[in-house]
Amino acid sequence: MSTMNSSMEMDQLKKPFSISDIIWTVAVIAGAIYAWKSFGQLMDVYEIGILAGASVGLIAFGKIWPSIRTLSYAVAALSLLALWSYSHHGNQISANEQAFFLKFLISSQSAFMWMSALFVMATVAYFLALFSKSNYVGKVASAIAWSGVAFGLVGMMVRWRESYLINPDYGHIPVSSLYEVFILFAVLTTLIYLYYEQKLRTRSMGGFVMLIVSAAIGFLLWYTFDREAHVIQPLVPALKSYWMKIHVPANFIGYGSFSIAAMVGLAYLVTEKFQTKNPDSQFVKSMPSLESMDDLMYKTVALGFAFFTIATVLGAMWAAEAWGGYWSWDPKETWALIVWLNYAAWLHIRMSKGWRGRPMAMWALVGLLVTTFAFLGVNMFLSGLHSYGEL
Amino acid sequence: MADLSNTSSPLPKRKPGIFIQFLGSMNLAVTLLVMLAIASVIGTVLQQNQVFQDYIIKFGPFWTQVFNELGLFHVYGAAWFILVLLFLLISTSVCVSRNGPTFLKEIRQYSEKLSLNAYKHQPHSVTYTPESFETETAQSILKQQGYKTKIHQREDGVTVAGLKGRWNRLGYIFTHISIIVICIGALFDSNLLLKYRELTGTLAPETRTVGLDKIPQKSWLGPENFSFRGSVNIAEGQKSDVLFLPYERGFLVQKLPFTIDVKDFRIEYYDTGMPKSFESDIVLSAPDLDKPIEKTIAVNHPLFYKNYAIYQSSFGDGGSLMKLKVHPLLSPTNNPLTLNTAVDKVEPLKTPMGTYRLELNDFKMFNIVPASEEEKAKTGKKMHNNGPTIIFKVRNDQGKAWEYENYMQPSLQDGRWFFMTGMRTSQAEPFRYLFIPADQQRQKTRFFNFLALINNKNKSQEVLKEAFPQEKGVDDRTYQLQMRLLNQLMVLFRQKGFNGISLFVQKNVPAKDQPKVKDYYMGQTSLALQTLYLNVLKQEKVKELDNISDFNKQWFEDAITVINSLPNYGPPMYFELDSFKQIESTGLQITKSPGKDIVYFGSALLIIGVFFLFYVRQKRIWLAYSEKEGTLTIAGKDNKELPEVAKEFQQIVQAVQSKMQVKS
Repeated sequence: MSTMNSSMEMDQLKKPFSISDIIWTVAVIAGAIYAWKSFGQLMDVYEIGILAGASVGLIAFGKIWPSIRTLSYAVAALSLLALWSYSHHGNQISANEQAFFLKFLISSQSAFMWMSALFVMATVAYFLALFSKSNYVGKVASAIAWSGVAFGLVGMMVRWRESYLINPDYGHIPVSSLYEVFILFAVLTTLIYLYYEQKLRTRSMGGFVMLIVSAAIGFLLWYTFDREAHVIQPLVPALKSYWMKIHVPANFIGYGSFSIAAMVGLAYLVTEKFQTKNPDSQFVKSMPSLESMDDLMYKTVALGFAFFTIATVLGAMWAAEAWGGYWSWDPKETWALIVWLNYAAWLHIRMSKGWRGRPMAMWALVGLLVTTFAFLGVNMFLSGLHSYGEL
Repeated sequence: MADLSNTSSPLPKRKPGIFIQFLGSMNLAVTLLVMLAIASVIGTVLQQNQVFQDYIIKFGPFWTQVFNELGLFHVYGAAWFILVLLFLLISTSVCVSRNGPTFLKEIRQYSEKLSLNAYKHQPHSVTYTPESFETETAQSILKQQGYKTKIHQREDGVTVAGLKGRWNRLGYIFTHISIIVICIGALFDSNLLLKYRELTGTLAPETRTVGLDKIPQKSWLGPENFSFRGSVNIAEGQKSDVLFLPYERGFLVQKLPFTIDVKDFRIEYYDTGMPKSFESDIVLSAPDLDKPIEKTIAVNHPLFYKNYAIYQSSFGDGGSLMKLKVHPLLSPTNNPLTLNTAVDKVEPLKTPMGTYRLELNDFKMFNIVPASEEEKAKTGKKMHNNGPTIIFKVRNDQGKAWEYENYMQPSLQDGRWFFMTGMRTSQAEPFRYLFIPADQQRQKTRFFNFLALINNKNKSQEVLKEAFPQEKGVDDRTYQLQMRLLNQLMVLFRQKGFNGISLFVQKNVPAKDQPKVKDYYMGQTSLALQTLYLNVLKQEKVKELDNISDFNKQWFEDAITVINSLPNYGPPMYFELDSFKQIESTGLQITKSPGKDIVYFGSALLIIGVFFLFYVRQKRIWLAYSEKEGTLTIAGKDNKELPEVAKEFQQIVQAVQSKMQVKS
C-alpha cells in the first residue's frame, strides 16, 4: 500500500505540469490580477508585493497539497457571489439583511455562523466516527470540517469587503481585532489539521483537535452575542500598516500548530492510559500508534515554531516602524518570547536528549496554556501596546 | 563511527575541562531558557518602571523594599537578568564552537570508505543479489532521487555513496549563531554604558520636573551616547534639539546633533470619535545639511535621517492659550475676574478664603462620547461631541489639590442644557459632576446672578422684605426675628446645603421639637429661595410671574441641586472657559539603534536556520557492491529517525531493484 502511494507521488514528481496544475496556476494569477485591477489603487507598493507573494505561495502550496485548490475554488466562487450580490444591491451594507444569499449564507456574519455550526458538528462527527469505527462517518466528518473552513474563509473575504462598504475609511483586512483573529485561529487550526489528516491517513485524532476549535467557537459565540464584538470597527493608527497582513497570519499558523500539538498530546496521553489498562482495547486499536502521534506532535511543534519565529521577527520589524523600537518588553512581546523559549526548550530536549512520549505530550499541553495566555491572557490581564483586542 | 554519531554532542577528541563542559551542556542551556522565561513572566505580571509610591501602596513598604533589591521593578535591566543573558550567550557559543566543526565536516562527508559490514549495520539496510551491477546506473538512480554521489573503490568491490539535505547541518549552525548575533545586537542597543557611567558617578538621572536650564550637567548626554530611544513633546511652531530618555526613576537629557521644527500637527477622527490618523509636518535642520529636510511623519511612517529614526508617537496640548472667567462662588455680586493664561501654566490666586494655585493641566478640543439613542435616531450619528474642556487643579497652601474638568459648552441631558463641571480629589477616583443649568440663552448668567443674590445678605434681605412686608398685628421684634431667620437659613444653606440646616436643627433644638422645627426651617428656606428666584426672573424681565413656565420651574430645581452641592465643590471658585486658541503638540520618539541591523541579520539567520533544521533532512544512502559475493547492500541513514524514513528507504530499494533486478 505504502509503496503504491509513493510511486504515485513519484509519478506526480515526474509530470510536473498536468492540466489541472495549469488551470490552478492560471486561476490564481487571474484572481491576483483581478484583485490588483479592482483594488490596486488602495494598495501601497508593499501590499502589491504581498499580493504577488501570496499568489506565488498559493500556487506552490496548491502543488504540494492539491486539496487546497478545491477549497480555493469554492471560497473564490462564494466570495465573488457575495461581492456580486452586494454590488447588485448598490454596495450598501444593509444588503446583508435583504439579499437572500447574503442574509442566509454568505454575508460575513452568516458565513461565520455556518462555520461555527459546521466546526462543532465536525467535532461530534469525528468522535462518532472514532467510536463507531465507521469509515463513512469519518469521511462525513472531514467533509464537514472542510466546509467549515470554506465558510470561515468566505466570511473573512466578505468581511474584508464589508468593512469598505460600511465606510471606505474603515476598510481593512479582518485580522485586526480579537474577534477576527479567533476566526482566523479556528480556520487555520482546522486547515493545518486537515493537512496532516490526509498525510497520515487517519481521522482518529480529528475529534481531539476539533475540541480546541470548538472551544474557540464557544468563545467566539459568547463574544458575538454578549459583547457584540462582531461589529466592524475602524483601525487605530498604529495598525494601519501592511505589516498586519503578514504578521498576524504567520502568528496564527504558529498558534494553530501549537494547539494541534497539544491536542495530539492529549490524544497520546489518553491512548497511553487505555493501553496500559488493556492493550487490546478497541479504542487503542482505532487510534494511531503512539509513535506516530509522538511524531505528529514533533512535526506540529516544529511547524508552529518556524512560523512563530517568523511572526515574532516580523512583529519586531513592525514595532520598529510603528513604535520606534524593535523590542520594548511590552507584555505581548514578552509573552511571545516566553512561548518561543518554551518551545525552543521543548525542541532542544527532544532533539538532543531524545525525550519522547509522555513527558513531551504533557509539556505540549502545558505549552498550550502558555500559548493561550500569550494569545488571550495578555489582552485580558495585562495592559500594554498591544491593547487592540480587549475583552 | 564517531563521525556518524546521531547525538549533537559527539565525543570530542580532547576532553575539555569540566567547567567548559558545564557551560556547553544542554542542561544549562535549557535551565537558562526556562530562567529567562520565568524572569519575563515576572516582568509582565509586575508592572515595570512605575512610580515608587504606587508600589508601596500595592505591596507595602517591606515587600516593595525586597522586590526593589531584587530588581523586580526593572527586570529587563536588572543585573541578574543581564547575567542570565550573558550566560546564555556563553553557553550557546561554547556549544557552537564544540559542535560546529563536526557538523561542518559532516556536510562534506559521504562516509564512502566504511566497510561492507558497517553498511549492513546501518539503521536501514537490505542485501540482495542483483543480476548485474553498474556503477553509472547506481549513480544515476541516486541522482534522480536528488542525492549527490561519491564513488569509492574498495578492495572487494565498489561503494556508491549518496548524500542529500546537507543544509540541515547548516540549520544547526545558523540557528545557534543567530542567537549570539541577536544578543550582540541587543547589547549594542542596551543601556549598559549608561549603567557603567552611573556606577562610576559621572551620570545621574534627573528626577524633578524642572526647566531644561536647571538640569545639572550630570544628567545630560551628548554624541558619545551611541544608542538611545527617547521622546520629546514639541508644540506647533516650536523646535527642539534635545530628547528625554526615561532612566530608572527619572530621565536623562540627550542632546541631538540636529534641530526639529514642528510646523503643524494634524489629527483626523473617524465618525466614531476614534483618532484615525495623526501626523506632523517637521523640518529637520543640521549644520552639515545644505537644505533642511522637510517631511510629514505619521504613525507607521517615520523619518530616517542618518542612523536616527524619528517617529510620530503621541500628541497632546502644546500650551493652548485661553481666557478664563473666574467666578467666586461666595461673592455677593456676579462679577467674574478675567484671567489670560495657557495650558501648563500655574497661576497664583489670592482670595479672601486664602491663597490658591491654579495649575492648568490640559485642554481638550473634542470630547466624543456615544450618542444617545434619540440623537442616533435623529441624526444617524453614532457619536456625539461634547465640545472643549479644560482640566486643571486648584491647590491650597497646604498642598491639597482639587482636580476639575470643566466643559465650555452646555450639553443636552433629558431635554435640558447643562454646563458640566467635574471634580475629584484623587486621581484614582472618577470625576463627580455638577450640572449647572443653562438659561434660555444657553448661558450661565442667570445661575450666577441667582447665586450672587443668595450670597448677598443685604440685597436678599431687601428682596425678602419687599416680598414679605411686615403684616399688621406682627410686632417689630417678631418680624425682625423672622427676617433674621430667613437670612440665617440662607447663610446656612450656602455654607452646608440642606444638610447643614438639618444638622443645625439636630444640634440646637430639643429632640422632641426637631421634626417640627426642621419642617418649618426647610419650608422657610424653600420659600426664601423661591422668592429670591422670582426676583432674578423679575430682573430678567420675564413676564407672567404668577404663571411660571415649566422651563423656569425646572431650571430652579436644577439650580438648587447644584447650589446644594457647592459646599462639597472644593475651593469656592468656578472657572469658566471663555475663549481659547488651541496649540497642539506632537509627541515624537527618536531612536538611534546601531544594533538594529545586527538584530535583523541575526533574525534572518534564525529563520533560515529553523527551516533548514526542520524541513531539510540529511539523508545518506550507500549502494555497496561486493564483487566477491555478487551481492548489493543498500543502506540508509537519516540524521533524524522519522517514521517516513523507512518508507522512503523502501522507495529507494524499489527504484534500485527495478533497474538492477533480483537474480532469479
